[in-house]
Amino acid sequence: MPSRSAGHDGLLRRSSVGALWSLGVLWGIATMATAAAAATFVLPPLVQPASGEHHEGKVIWADLVTPDVAGAKRFYGQLLGWTFNDIHTGTGDYSVALLDGRPAGGLFQRAMRPGEQRQPAWLTFISVRDVGAAQRHILAQGGKVLSPPRSYPDRGRQAVFADPQGAVFAVLQSSSGDPEDVLAAPGEWIWSSVITRDPDTDAAFYQNVFGYEVFEIPSTDGSTHVLLSTEDYARASLNALPGDTARRHPHWLNFVRVNSATDTAARVEALGGRVLVKPFLDRHGGLVAVVADPAGAPFGLLEWTEADSKEGAK
Amino acid sequence: MNPRVNRRSMGGLIALLFAAIAGCVAGGAYDGGVDVGYGVDFYDAGGYEYGGWGPGYGVGPPRRGFDRGRADGRGAPHSAYRPASPSRSMPSLPGRSRGR
Repeated sequence: MPSRSAGHDGLLRRSSVGALWSLGVLWGIATMATAAAAATFVLPPLVQPASGEHHEGKVIWADLVTPDVAGAKRFYGQLLGWTFNDIHTGTGDYSVALLDGRPAGGLFQRAMRPGEQRQPAWLTFISVRDVGAAQRHILAQGGKVLSPPRSYPDRGRQAVFADPQGAVFAVLQSSSGDPEDVLAAPGEWIWSSVITRDPDTDAAFYQNVFGYEVFEIPSTDGSTHVLLSTEDYARASLNALPGDTARRHPHWLNFVRVNSATDTAARVEALGGRVLVKPFLDRHGGLVAVVADPAGAPFGLLEWTEADSKEGAK
Repeated sequence: MNPRVNRRSMGGLIALLFAAIAGCVAGGAYDGGVDVGYGVDFYDAGGYEYGGWGPGYGVGPPRRGFDRGRADGRGAPHSAYRPASPSRSMPSLPGRSRGR
């Protein structure tokens, strides 16, 4: 007759085997769920047909992270004439914005947690040839990884980082190539600026990571303004945060080309957005403004004519 | 050892591990979990303020042919970056429209 202690040991062994079996099943379910969630997220190519072009350091994409994709679609659709292709995923809704059939940006749905002191924003994607190499350079220069490199079928490989001053940006190794270097049409992204505490040291960071040529831009307000360039094209500027910088957060700000910043800013307000900076005359002779969509994501408006890109204009 | 206690302990262990695995699956990349969704799943820190912008605060690109002014190849005093050569003209945006 088995002893009471031996019976307990047997029960313990059976329980252990059962627990291990259950763990194996759970692990399998988790792995399958992970694979399924990742597999369902198929983004369209950046360029169709594939361009074969590559422009390192060029801003090639922007994604809006917002708690209200439906509201964002109404707003940007009416403001800029964008249409949308919806992609339903295992982890959230994503919509590709199109202008005349060309991808103009992405809208990603993410619920805002109660009490979350964050704000929706447009995330800027910079072209790289190799995301892994870019990550190594970014870390070596004092940047931080926010989302490690990962691949998306058709889109390519991308990752999200913060520069040493905290401005968030992404890099994208597009598998279909980069958009060609042409003048953006009205309603498309045309320009990007890093609004930062120290443009000088931030310029060194971006130069060392992306190989930019850096030009100091003469300014009349006494603050530092720097331009980043590759292939003889202006790619972005770095501007000092004006005023009380302690309360202000370094960030990338993207600008849409518009025919009239004044009219578009008024339309933003009519559609439920806000004007953060009223239209004012910029260095190129056109107006710029900063506005926010109804969920609070800021973006810029920039007037630009074909003549502004030509030698000896104005 | 009480068999009920053993079963309860094992059940608790399984529940704990299941919760841990589920947390990894559901977690976003910015929350320390395994990123299974779209890698841009985050909100920015906020605190954007634009007071102080206005005339003189140039933020847009310079037009083609913009005068670099006093550019001497040294950049700003004690600049951390390597400034473009003085012989380089100020770059601007592409002038060619799509399809031309």
